[in-house]
Amino acid sequence: MLFYIARRLLFAAFTIWFIATATFFAMHAVPGDPLTQEKAMSPAVRAQLEARYGLDKPLDEQYLLFLGNMLRGDFGISFTQENRRVNDIIREHFPISATLGLAAILIALVGGVAAGSVAAHFRNRWPDRAVIFAVIAAISLPGFVIAAMAQLLIVRLNSAVDSTWLPVAGWGGVEHVWIPALVLGLGTMAYLSRLMRASMLEVLSSDYVLAARSRGIGPWRLFWGHQLRNAILPVVTELGPSIAAITTGGFVVELIFAIPGLGRYFVQAVQQLDYTVIMGTTVFYGAFLVIVVMLVDISYGIIDPRIRLTSGRRR
Amino acid sequence: MSLLEVENLSLHIGALHALRGVSFSLDAGECRALVGESGCGKSLTAMSLLGLTPPGAVFHADAFTLAGEVLPAQGSPAWRRHRGADIAMIFQNPMTALNPTQTVGAQLAESFVLHRNLGRREAMTAAVALLERLAIPQPAQRAAQYPFEFSGGMLQRVMIAMAVACRPKLLIADEPTTALDVTVQAEVLTLLAELQREQGTALLFITHDLGVVAEIADSVTVMYAGESVESGSVAQIFNRTAHPYSAALRAAVPSLKQDRRPEGIVGSPPDLRREVTGCAFAPRCRQRMAICEDTVPEFQCGEGQRVRCWRWHPDHPLRWREAENG
Repeated sequence: MLFYIARRLLFAAFTIWFIATATFFAMHAVPGDPLTQEKAMSPAVRAQLEARYGLDKPLDEQYLLFLGNMLRGDFGISFTQENRRVNDIIREHFPISATLGLAAILIALVGGVAAGSVAAHFRNRWPDRAVIFAVIAAISLPGFVIAAMAQLLIVRLNSAVDSTWLPVAGWGGVEHVWIPALVLGLGTMAYLSRLMRASMLEVLSSDYVLAARSRGIGPWRLFWGHQLRNAILPVVTELGPSIAAITTGGFVVELIFAIPGLGRYFVQAVQQLDYTVIMGTTVFYGAFLVIVVMLVDISYGIIDPRIRLTSGRRR
Repeated sequence: MSLLEVENLSLHIGALHALRGVSFSLDAGECRALVGESGCGKSLTAMSLLGLTPPGAVFHADAFTLAGEVLPAQGSPAWRRHRGADIAMIFQNPMTALNPTQTVGAQLAESFVLHRNLGRREAMTAAVALLERLAIPQPAQRAAQYPFEFSGGMLQRVMIAMAVACRPKLLIADEPTTALDVTVQAEVLTLLAELQREQGTALLFITHDLGVVAEIADSVTVMYAGESVESGSVAQIFNRTAHPYSAALRAAVPSLKQDRRPEGIVGSPPDLRREVTGCAFAPRCRQRMAICEDTVPEFQCGEGQRVRCWRWHPDHPLRWREAENG
């Protein structure tokens, strides 16, 4: 197991290096640079700024400099937001994105597992058809449409009960989290419920469920003790990619709900060719996802004893 | 009055008339083998004895009682009181019939919690004691292991332990040795016979292995196309075979002693999605008569032996029978 984790960590480091390098050269291949603005700049000022940010050096030297700084965990200073360090931007705004993402993945996981289980148990009856309809709707509609519809609904609701207990946008208390998180997690929830339905159907037709029923085990005990844990295995494997989808999907939702998360800086940086912020946020998100996927793979072994024991101790 | 009475059991699953009249009875301590080829309804008969026929199946029986008590309607929640407590089942493949993500001990203990109202810890102690009784070495450690850590024979013993945990009145074993190595088969059979004697359980043993039948059973019911065609003691079925299908089954078994080739049965069983009229075996039968087009009632053809064949009608010339049974 330790050997397995060590090997995974090595691969993770390689993946992060690759992301950083690819992004670095792709970014520099884009015409223009962070100093290009609508307003013309005198050559003297430009030269001075280039020298300050190290843009006058050859590209390979810039790359090595960047790698060195990255290893020390320093991504430099933003070009567009004066004197703000990229590390500070990440430190201030990532927790907001993380809170939103965590809430979204929790909603998606619980909702998806519940909806998929219900659909499987009522196969081809109306609860199953309702779930399938909702799944198709949630997968087909783009996130920004659902977000806008959710906002409209909140406005109507608030005016109907004549209060503002559910905010339309913004960030602050718990009440600001639920709706954006639900919108953000909806697509993933739909995907997970489809997965859960399929794997639950397989479990329901298995010998061990029939055998458990033949021992007089009631429906609830059967569900918690014999069906859920077996059926959830494929869902857990999909959690890694799901977290990736939710984190990247977060940019749009953050924008629509005016949430000061990291996603906005990520998008703005690309538009303005803010080299340091692009590199900082990309490498950070890349590393985050690589580690999350790794943790998910490890947790898989905790749920399935067959994997835990065959990779760990030998009989 | 027998412990289990099943009279004229019939089951429709959609257009499929899967069971068309199964009748047999079972006394306490008796072992009855249910034999017949694949698809003849042996396993469905077992499932209906647990109330676990597929949802939507239409069930009918003239008599369906255990210890004088009428068993609940199929799919009724009232079955939960019987399952595992009065009636228990041993499944064919122990590798797939145990939950892969729960320890063997936990699954075994569940029955005690459910039917004996034991606490979690007491149930676990009882489970370990039971594993020990079934000659599983290091029962305490074994109880903490998962099914995939056991061998096939060991797992089948665990399955048997689960089935006999609450001392059921009726034990159903659905081909319990088919998935096992030949060397382990004998071991499992001996264990079953031993437990049956010890607990006085009635055993319904489903198999298509006539060798096993001779070894373990007291009586036999032969099934064909969803129907019980012949019932009797082992001696009667083997020595005074009454139904042509039973005779054909026996002729299909290879023999080391006699210098003869096993004979296959020509043709295949009828399609039960269409209504079968007359004797279902008639198209494949060598002794077919004109009357076989008519529905066959059951005839008595010996002490406790029942057969569904026109050749045993009282008006049928007696000498024909004598000639066949030698």
